[in-house]
Order: sequence, then C-alpha cells, then structure tokens
Amino acid sequence: MTPTASPAEFTLSRRPTDRRSPLRWVLSHTARHWWLVIVMFIGAIGNAAFAAYVPILTGDAFNAMLHTPPDTKVLLPLALILGGTQIGRGILQLGRNFGAELTAQRIERDVRDELYVSLLGKSMTFHNLQPVGDTMARATNDVREVNYMFSPGINLVIGSLVFLFMPILFAPRYHWSLVLTPIIFTILYFIALRWYLRTLNPITEDVRASFGEMNTHLSEALDGIETMKGAAQEEAEIQRFNRNSRRLRDNNVRQGDIEARFVPLLLFFLALAAGLLHAILLYRQGILNIGDVVAYFGILLMLEFPTWTSIWAYSLISSGMAGAGRILDLMTRENNLDQNASGHARPMHGGIEFRNVTFAYPGGEPVLREVSFVVQPGQTVAIVGQTGTGKTSLAKLVNRTYDTSEGQILVDGTDVRDWNLASLRSQISIIEQDVFLFSRTIAENIAFGKPEATRAEVEAAARSAQADEFIQQFEKGYETAIGERGVTLSGGQRQRLAIGRAFLTDPRILILDDSTSAIDSATEDRIQRAIAAAAKGRTTLIITHRLSQIRWADLIIVLRQGRIAAIGSHDDLMKTSEAYSRIFRE
Amino acid sequence: MGFYEGLNEEKYDRQYKDSVLTQRILAHFSGQKKEVWVIALLTILLAVITTAQPVVVSQGLDALQTLPSLGGSLLIGGAVLLIGVADWGLNWARRRMTVRTVGDVVLNLRELAFRAAVEHDLSFYDQFSSGRIVSRINADTSSLGELIIIITDVSAQIFNAILLGVIIVRTEWRLSLVLFAFLPFIFLLALSFRRMARKVTKSGMQAMADVNSTIKETVSGIAIAKNFRQEASIFGTFDAANRTSYRVNVWRGFILALVWPSLNALVGVATAVLVYAGGWSAAEGAVTIGAWYLFIISLGRFFDPVMNLSAFWSNIQSGLSAAERIFALMDAEPNVVQTGNQDVPQLKGEIRFENVSFRYAENEPVLVDFSLSILPGENLAIVGHTGAGKSSLAKLIARLYEYQSGRILVDGLDIRSFNMQQYRRQLGLVSQVPFLFSGTVADNIRYACPQRDCISEADILSMARRIGDGEWLETLPDGLNTRVGERGAMLSMGQRQLVALMRVLMQKPAIFVLDEATASIDPFTEWQIQQALTMILQESTSILIAHRLSTVKAADRIIVLERGGILEEGDHNGLLASGGHYASLYNTYFRHQSLAYVEKARELVEGD
Repeated sequence: MTPTASPAEFTLSRRPTDRRSPLRWVLSHTARHWWLVIVMFIGAIGNAAFAAYVPILTGDAFNAMLHTPPDTKVLLPLALILGGTQIGRGILQLGRNFGAELTAQRIERDVRDELYVSLLGKSMTFHNLQPVGDTMARATNDVREVNYMFSPGINLVIGSLVFLFMPILFAPRYHWSLVLTPIIFTILYFIALRWYLRTLNPITEDVRASFGEMNTHLSEALDGIETMKGAAQEEAEIQRFNRNSRRLRDNNVRQGDIEARFVPLLLFFLALAAGLLHAILLYRQGILNIGDVVAYFGILLMLEFPTWTSIWAYSLISSGMAGAGRILDLMTRENNLDQNASGHARPMHGGIEFRNVTFAYPGGEPVLREVSFVVQPGQTVAIVGQTGTGKTSLAKLVNRTYDTSEGQILVDGTDVRDWNLASLRSQISIIEQDVFLFSRTIAENIAFGKPEATRAEVEAAARSAQADEFIQQFEKGYETAIGERGVTLSGGQRQRLAIGRAFLTDPRILILDDSTSAIDSATEDRIQRAIAAAAKGRTTLIITHRLSQIRWADLIIVLRQGRIAAIGSHDDLMKTSEAYSRIFRE
Repeated sequence: MGFYEGLNEEKYDRQYKDSVLTQRILAHFSGQKKEVWVIALLTILLAVITTAQPVVVSQGLDALQTLPSLGGSLLIGGAVLLIGVADWGLNWARRRMTVRTVGDVVLNLRELAFRAAVEHDLSFYDQFSSGRIVSRINADTSSLGELIIIITDVSAQIFNAILLGVIIVRTEWRLSLVLFAFLPFIFLLALSFRRMARKVTKSGMQAMADVNSTIKETVSGIAIAKNFRQEASIFGTFDAANRTSYRVNVWRGFILALVWPSLNALVGVATAVLVYAGGWSAAEGAVTIGAWYLFIISLGRFFDPVMNLSAFWSNIQSGLSAAERIFALMDAEPNVVQTGNQDVPQLKGEIRFENVSFRYAENEPVLVDFSLSILPGENLAIVGHTGAGKSSLAKLIARLYEYQSGRILVDGLDIRSFNMQQYRRQLGLVSQVPFLFSGTVADNIRYACPQRDCISEADILSMARRIGDGEWLETLPDGLNTRVGERGAMLSMGQRQLVALMRVLMQKPAIFVLDEATASIDPFTEWQIQQALTMILQESTSILIAHRLSTVKAADRIIVLERGGILEEGDHNGLLASGGHYASLYNTYFRHQSLAYVEKARELVEGD
C-alpha cells in the first residue's frame, strides 16, 4: 500500500473548510454565519445593558421620591422608560437566543453534510475497517455536541460574560471606586470556577463510568436470566450488582459534596455585602444618594446570573470541541487506495490466481499466509474453515477491498492493482454475510445496482433468485417497503434478495459469504437452487457451511489458521484429508 | 432548571393511588428518620435566611434616611455578609445530607428491585422485555431520587415566597395586591410555554429519531452503495433527512428561545408598575422607602417558585409513575413457588411427569394431562413442529415455569419440595442461543462455580483438549483467556455453543437439558460440538430438543410431540420405517441434513 493522495471516490462541490485544527475548523464553519454571530452579540450586549437599566432607573425613582418635596412628576416617565427598556430587552434577548440557536442548527446541518460527503468519498477499505457504530456515534452524538456547544454553550458564555461586565461598566456612574467590588469578584470568580470545574470533572466522569458499568452488567444479567437461574448463580449476581450500585452511590455522594461547596456562590454573597457596605460608607460621606445605593446594589445582584450559568456553559464548550475533534479526525483520515484510473479497463473473463498471498490488517498479525491457488473462469470454489481462519479476508482481497501485504492476486492474468479500480469492481459482486437492505421498496432494493432496470427485469431476477414466491406473499408485493411494520425478512430471504441484485448487475465474479441456515428442507431446496443459478456462467467464490455446496464445488479450499490446510476436489480431499473426510461421515 | 424537565416524557396510566405510592415512598425513608428531619429543618432555616436578605436590606435603607453612624453602617454590611455566609453554609449542609440520604434510599431500592427481578420466573420475562426491567431498576429509581431533591428545592422556594408574601402584606396590603396581580399572568405564561415546549420537543424528538435512523441506515449502507457506485442516490436520501431535521429543530429552537425573553419582559413591566405605584405610595407616606424597595426586589423572588411550579406537577407525576413502576416490579407475585426446602441428594436422573398440565396463558394449554417417564441415564430426543410444547417440557424440568396441575418427580421426589439452588446445581442447561457473560472464555466455562477453587484452569484445559483435539482453542486468539464481549458477541455462534457445552461438561450434572441451536455452523466446528455432546450424553440423563439429524440419531428414544401430547415414540430407524408422524417431520426438518441429500443436491438444482 502506498499512501499517495488520490482523488476521493465521490465528491460534491462544497465550500472548503479549514481542517487544520478543530478550532480553525469550527471557526471556518461559524464564519459562514457571521451575521448571525453579530445578531447574537448585539442581543447579548443589549440584553445585559437593558437589564442594568432596571436598578439604574429604580435608583433614579428613589432619588426623585427622596427629594423634599417628592418629585412625583418624573415617576410616570421613569416607569414608562423602565417598562419600555424591558420589552426591548426581551426582543434583544430573543435575538441572542435565537441567533445562537440558528447558528447551532445550521452548523449541525453543515457539519453533518460535510462529514457525510467525506464518508462517501472514502475507499471501501476505509469503510470495511471502520466500525459502523463508531461512525454513527460521530455522525449523531458528536455532531450534536457541536450544536450544543453553540446553543446553549456559547450563547450562555457570551451572555454571562456580558453580565459580569455590566457592573464594571455602570458602577463608575455613581463613584469610580465602586468598580472595585465587581472587578475583584470577577477575578476571584474565575479562579474559583476553574478550581471547581477541575475538581468536579474527573468525578463526573467517574459517575458516568460507574453508571455505565452498572447498566451494562445489569442488562446483561437480565438477558442471561435463564443461564443465571440454570446455574443457580442468583446470589452471586445480586452481590455483583450491589457492588456496582454502591460504587455509583459513592461517586454520586462525592459529586454532591463538591457541588455543595460551590465557592462562586459564596463569593457572590461576599460581593453583595462588601459592595453594599462600600456604597453606604460613600453615602455617609455624602458622595452618594440613597437612590444610588439602591441602584448599585441592584447592579451587583446582576452577578447572580453568571455565578450559576457558567457551571455548565464551559463544559458544553469543551465537549463540543472534543466532538469536533473526533469528527475532524474521521474526515482527515487518509484514503490509501489508488484508483488507478489509467489501469486496465476491459471485460473480464473471471480467472483468478493467488500467488503467495500474505495479508495482515494494519498493525495486526497476518490473517492469511502464503496462500496460492488458481481458479479457472466459470469455476465454483468453496472456501471452508472455522471462524477466524481468514475466509472473509481472502474473499475481500479479490476486488481490492483490501490490498495484499505480500504476494499478488491476478484476475485474467493481470495484477488487480494494475486494473482500473472502477472497472475491476463493477465486474465483481460481493454478497456479505449480513445482507444490508435499504428502507426502500423490495423492487428498488433488487434494482439498487441498476436503477434503470425495468419491472420485468427485476421480477425475472427475483424468480431466478427464488425470491419471487415470498415477495408475492406480501400484501404490496414488490412495492413492499423494507422496515415497514410487519415486514420481517429472515436471513435467507435477505440473502436471496441480494442474489437477485447480483442477477441484474451480472458480474463476472461473484463472491458469496453464506452463513444462512434453513429451518426446513423445502427452504433448503430453494436456497440450493438460487445459489446454483447465481453461480452458473460466472466464477463464484462461496464461503459456506453447507455440505452440499462443498461437495459439488469445482475446487475446495480448506483454511486453517490463515493457511491452506487442504485444496482440491471433493474426491481428492476425501482421500487426502482426514479433517475433511470426517465431516462427511455420519 | 426545573422548567425544562420532563418535556419528553410519555404519559403513564397508573394503577396505584397517589396516597398509597406516597406512603410507600415514605416507608423507604423510615430508616433515615433523623436525616429526613434534619434536612427538613435545614430547608426551613434556608428559606428563612433567604427571606431575611431583602428584609434586612430594606430595613437598612430606612435606617439610612437618618445619617447612620459608622457602627450602624458596619452593622448593615455585617448582617448582609452573615446572611450570605449562612445561606451558603446551610445550602452546603443540606445538599450533603440530601445526596447521602437519597443515595442510600436509591441504593436500597435498587437492590430490592434487582432481587425481585431475579426472583421472577421466566413467564415474567416473556411479559416484559428485559430492557424495560433494566430501566425500572436503574432509571426509575434515579428519577425517584431526583423527585425527592426537586421537592426539597421547590418547598424551600415556596416557603421562602410565603414568608416574603406575609411580610409584604403586613407592610402594605394594597401595594402587595399590585404585586400578586402579576403572579397569575407569569404562571399562566409559564404554563402555556411549557405546553408549547412539550409539543415542539416531542415533534423535534420524533424528527430527530427519524433522521438518526436514516443516518444510521445511510452510514451502514455506504459500503453497499460504493460496491454498486450508487453514492449519489444514497446521498439524496441522507440530504433530505438532514434538511428535515434542520427545519424541525429550528422551529423547536425558536419556541424554546422565546420562553425567557417573554417572561423577562413581563417581569420588567411588572417592575415598572411597582416602581410607579410604590413611588406614589412612598411620596404620600403610605410606605417607607425601604418597604418600597422590598416590593421591587421581592418580585424577582416570586419569579423562581412560580416558574418551577409550572413544571412541578408534571415532575411529581413522572416521579410517582417511576415509583409505581418500581413497586409494580417488586410486588408482582412470583409464579414458581416451592412447597418445601428439602436438601437434594446426589441425583441419578430419573424423571417422571405425572398428569402434568401447563399453560402460559388462560385458554392456551401447552401440555394437557401429560405423562412421561425418563430412565436414569437415558437420552431422550423431543421432536415436533414449532409450538408443540418441546421447550416448555424442558423448562418445566428446570423449574423456570410453574405448571398448573400434576406432578414432576425426579428420583421419585417432587421437584416442588426441593431446595431450588441445590437442585439446579445438578442440572445442566443449554439454551437455543447460548448466552455468555462478558468476561473470558474460562470465566464462562466455570460460571456455575465462580470461586476458582472447584474448577481449575488445568481441568478446563484438559477437557478442552478432548474435544476435536483442542482445535477449537486455536481459533480463539487468547485461548481460554479470550474475552467473549458483551453477551458473547465476539465469538461465533459455534464457539459460543462449544463454551456452553464445556460449561456443562465441567459441571457434570445429573440431568442435561439442551435446546439445540438452529444457527448455521461451519462443519468443522459442528463436528467438535458433536463430540462434546457425545461426552455429555454418556454421563447424564439428557433431554434433547433436537434440530439436528445427528442428535436425533444419537438419542436412545425419540418422542414426537404435538399439541402437548405424545404422538409416537421409538428410535430413529424404527420410527422412520413405520412411516408415521416422525417420517413426515423428518421429511420437513431433517431430510436436507442427511448425506443422501448432499449427494443428490446436484440433481436437485439441475432438475429445474
């Protein structure tokens, strides 16, 4: 494998993003919605400023009433301005909230789109090595984390930072020295918050882990209840559950203890007392009016909002960045397979030769060692062996899902790496063990590789695959949607739909990973007919457990621990291999 | 934030009365009466302290009107400081107590719930999916714990609001009416927002679930799409789902973004009215400056409890539903009841069914007046169509279900009189889909005896080597120390069966009950399974629910079961020759497993 940069297998025109680091990447996504970010900032600043107007105007009202005689004329205008600013505040706050929300949703949409396009562009090798569950987690949970990072994460961070800043901004209105309390509070607050989050985060992680462990063991124990009862292990399982459950309880208590001593709250109360005292002292000196004291105290009360919100706002951002990192990691992973666009592109006959093939997954032990054999065009080959002997890996080397580590594979005498990749793959079909069907109609699933196929062609393919009979039993026949309520297909039925698919694309080489089992003999008859029809007229590699398939194959390859333990026709092997012949003894 | 809690919960019809549930919840706190009282006391103190702050500040403002002494100023500042520190300290003590008390109650509830779940027989598990039972034991107990915390928080806030309410009414009742007039509006606004939020959250979740399943499908289908070069088609499906999700979530986001701005605006308007009305009252001398301030500052203090009250009812409801699900799990009567607790001697394995009747549900009889005698050491295969009662027969022997009439005797003793643990230790049970617990292969083989003293590593190894020359061990990457993964997922079906059979081989039970798997297994592993099975059959009385031809052939006696009755019995060759029910079953289920079929397979496909 040579790690050359080759064009992706699928692309769509998209505005490029900066993928050099998670931060740059997130910023380049955000930059597209710059005007929403501006709306968010204007909303946040306006919201906080207008919130500060409540104590300021209240203070003015107090000063007016404390005049002798009370200046009642200003009361109505003050109240009207106060009410007006608060309605304005509502609108601005909505701007902040919805601006953040819209940014978050758009980024979620764009990120998911970018990830998906990137996934479609990756090689089959990548997709075969990358666990679906992991990709799923990134496409759903991690994308979601990025969304939450903006709303409520960044929304609250900006909102609370602006609230922290307002007392510093407005205190000097009354006396310059009053800025002291909010400034000292802000500094101590960040130190305390940092310390709090640092102590809390590992414990939160412990809580999550111990809950996960309890949950996994619990559901496993209950799923295995029959085995548990059969082995009389109830008490042992209860003890294990109690241990897990107690660990969770202890972690919960540790978390609760830390949350209980939330120092920023104490700092807030201290700031209130200090600020009030400071204002009263200034009042004693005749520098402030009572209304100013009222206003200043009210402004200090604004600090309560950032005190509480920041607890989770910052952790939303850190998990959002972690999610962004994971998504980016998946997108930037190298795609190693050379497409070889200039390689051989011609109709295939279907001859296959393995020459001293050794294969290992990246970073692993070899799963195939020095495998050599020759298959003539049109032959049927049975590959047999126990689990983990390399059967599936062997089959996937033929269409270059993976490339060999050592040795060569030739198709029609040409090294597969010298074939044009598209030409090679379009003439080889793989039917995997677990046949994947899309939530489309049965007809669309059969025609998946040839969307332009006529209905008559689809039905003919289904008949050859022995699938027509069960399809007709559905109320809507070929128009039945997979996954619809009441539509369940057995493994064997799914396999026959996949065989139908192969009839339409008519490959020269068919690779069939067969692990279905027939409950009854009549079904077995149908499977036999379907496979025989599929194998006719093309080279077929079957990984199978079926004695009848093995018995009648042109060539049988017995694998044991990645090596060919025996190879030949049935009659040869019955004579030469004890391991083989004993499976045909009753 | 209480307001947003429980927006996505389903309604749940309850069977228990609220009073009954409340009493039972309280009963679980009876072990911690002292702690509960302390928490209650702390909650009240906290409410008093929280109320004291605005009162002290407003009193301070009044005092300021005549220029205060330095001492006076310090007194006001000191009082506010003291209140703040006390507030923080009381909160600290209360939360520490609460998290411990609730933690212990939940711990205890979980143990009781899990114990109850384990004691139920399998008919209970047929009725409820294990996933639901898991969520009762884990999630429902958690939400019950959260309910308790919410109740203490909300009662502190309500108590605080009541105290403050009393104080302002006594200060100036007319002005307090102005304030109270706004509360219903805030409450109604909060309530209607909650209703809207609930609706959009629900539709948002639904859309999200759809999108996730489409994404799941399109991600899983990428390999197939690439195989057929259908990337564009699959992208179209993805793109549509992604856009739908965006639309739905933007709408949901808009509704949720609306909540706080509207409420803040309403409170702002109320403040303006209070500034105006209070200003006039102060100017006319009806209230002091301090009292006026108290009114303005109190508005915000009523705000939190009113907001939380709008969600409180549904919090309580969902908490009670959770409690009910837990209690229902604990209250369900176990069906399998032992009449005695007799010690079980070393069994020889003679089994007798005497006129046994069994049904899973009313009007669905499975076994009717069923009698059968199995000799010690005999190997009995049971065959029949699906639903004939084969599995039931096996599970009755293992006492996993209760039968309604008749008797089952083992070595002449009624199995209802046994000490169940001792009895089951002499049973070897392998179910159709062998279940492995996460851990190593060796852990699973010695599952029936987790203390390593009764089965040594060497014993396991020597037994493993006797099966197919130990060839199956070489397919396990770490031999006996290979981790099997959750539910054994990292092993193939054939490997799992071998491990389950090994477990039985090490256990050496008097009675062996096998529900044979139907999964497809490679012929080499199949051959090893056959060997292991033969070794077990030699040592135990065996009841085999057979799906494999080789197993039926190996049995001493075959019984053909239909609708809970025995149609035929005999050995394979005899029954086949007589051309009765067995012969027809053979033709339906076993024919394709024979070598004769293999030899004729080519003719079959070419005969088309």
